[in-house]
Amino acid sequence: MDFVTLGGNLLGTIPLGDIVLYITPLSLFLFIVLLVFTLLIAISKTETQVEATLMKLSNTNVKVGKKEFKQRRFLSVICGIASAGAMITGDLFNFTLFMALIGILNIGIVSAVKQTTVLNSAYQYGLIAMMCSLPLFGGASIILASTGTLSLAVLSQMPATPMVVFGAVLMLLGILGESGVAPFFASKAEMFRTPGSPFIVIIHLSSLFIIVRAVEILLLVLW
Amino acid sequence: MVFIPSYVPAEFLSMYLPAIYGALIIGFIGSMAIALNRRDIHILILTDLIGLAMIIIVSAVGTDLAEALILPGLVVELAETLAISEILLSREMHKIEANPRANLTKSTSLFPQPFALDMEIMTTAPNFIALVLIAYGIFLTGFTGGAVAGGGIVLYALSKKARGLPVLILDGIAGVSGIAWCLWIIGFALFFVAPNLWILSLFLAACGLLLKVASKVGLIGLLMREDIDKE
Repeated sequence: MDFVTLGGNLLGTIPLGDIVLYITPLSLFLFIVLLVFTLLIAISKTETQVEATLMKLSNTNVKVGKKEFKQRRFLSVICGIASAGAMITGDLFNFTLFMALIGILNIGIVSAVKQTTVLNSAYQYGLIAMMCSLPLFGGASIILASTGTLSLAVLSQMPATPMVVFGAVLMLLGILGESGVAPFFASKAEMFRTPGSPFIVIIHLSSLFIIVRAVEILLLVLW
Repeated sequence: MVFIPSYVPAEFLSMYLPAIYGALIIGFIGSMAIALNRRDIHILILTDLIGLAMIIIVSAVGTDLAEALILPGLVVELAETLAISEILLSREMHKIEANPRANLTKSTSLFPQPFALDMEIMTTAPNFIALVLIAYGIFLTGFTGGAVAGGGIVLYALSKKARGLPVLILDGIAGVSGIAWCLWIIGFALFFVAPNLWILSLFLAACGLLLKVASKVGLIGLLMREDIDKE
């Protein structure tokens, strides 16, 4: 499918050698929203959870230490930038790389927490993300092998051969696992049970946005 | 339309499908093994097997572009392994903190046993050999040069018995590595933005990679030395 059909009028292209970024209203909107959210995260402070204490009347504050706060903020900002890059990229393999990067950063954001259960689920999610890098990169490389290009502008003009369909299906599987949606969400949902709200939210937001973009890319490749 | 140069032998072309099937079968076997296993560390190691299958499937394409895909794939795989093992470590540490008696094993290192290297060649030759290796590495530049120069640094670090390198020096080597990484990135970006400056960007990337790899290998050698000289 032509990307004008999916994303609206073509506003312009940014040629960087082989890699040609194209800008449509859809990708520009997603890109700007993610950058604004990243900016909000960069200037915000972390929340403090108030928990009821067992067998007592007082409450306890669950705070985040300064070192942990700094590490988390840094990784969240990088995660936001990586998601923004995945929104605007015009290259299939750059998209898969940004996807894998987001997967690593999602693990990194929760890696400094003290709750053992959260670490446990982060570990499970990391295993799924690592296993899904096989279909993710494998799908991209099969598409490369059967079409000879990774540029989305060129790929969208090509008819889909059975091998391309196979590669796209593999890629879909990889994206589902890396971003931890539908069949793989069980461990990722548990990763949120920790203080530090605005930084944790980027885990969700990045996977939401990347699914929208992945649907666009798969439609571009398949039709 | 797929363009395949005429000088590529037919055997190479026919290897593509078996390689993909092989990699998928390896991935499947790895997943089965993960499903059967119960211990976390075994699962982590088996997951790396699936990562290797990913490398096979990407390298089966066998073009220049595919080679550009293998390196980031490898780096991503390595980073994920590191991140997950870090998670595993900190989880175990929190478990031990909560219940110190549960795990009575001591801290581990690269060589758990005391390991003294007492050879004459390690006291006489290494200065000269290390110098030659580093000079040759600088002459080579790039990844290979970095590995050769790093080998020289490792040899020097292994053979010299002075223990307890100050933290400042270790930090300094790590800083050089970081700056070299920036050089490499700048060279890489310049390559795309201004293709007519290719020779400058090539040399930036080559020298950056040289420093990067050399300092990394040197760091490994220094850390190993700390372990090896243990009495």
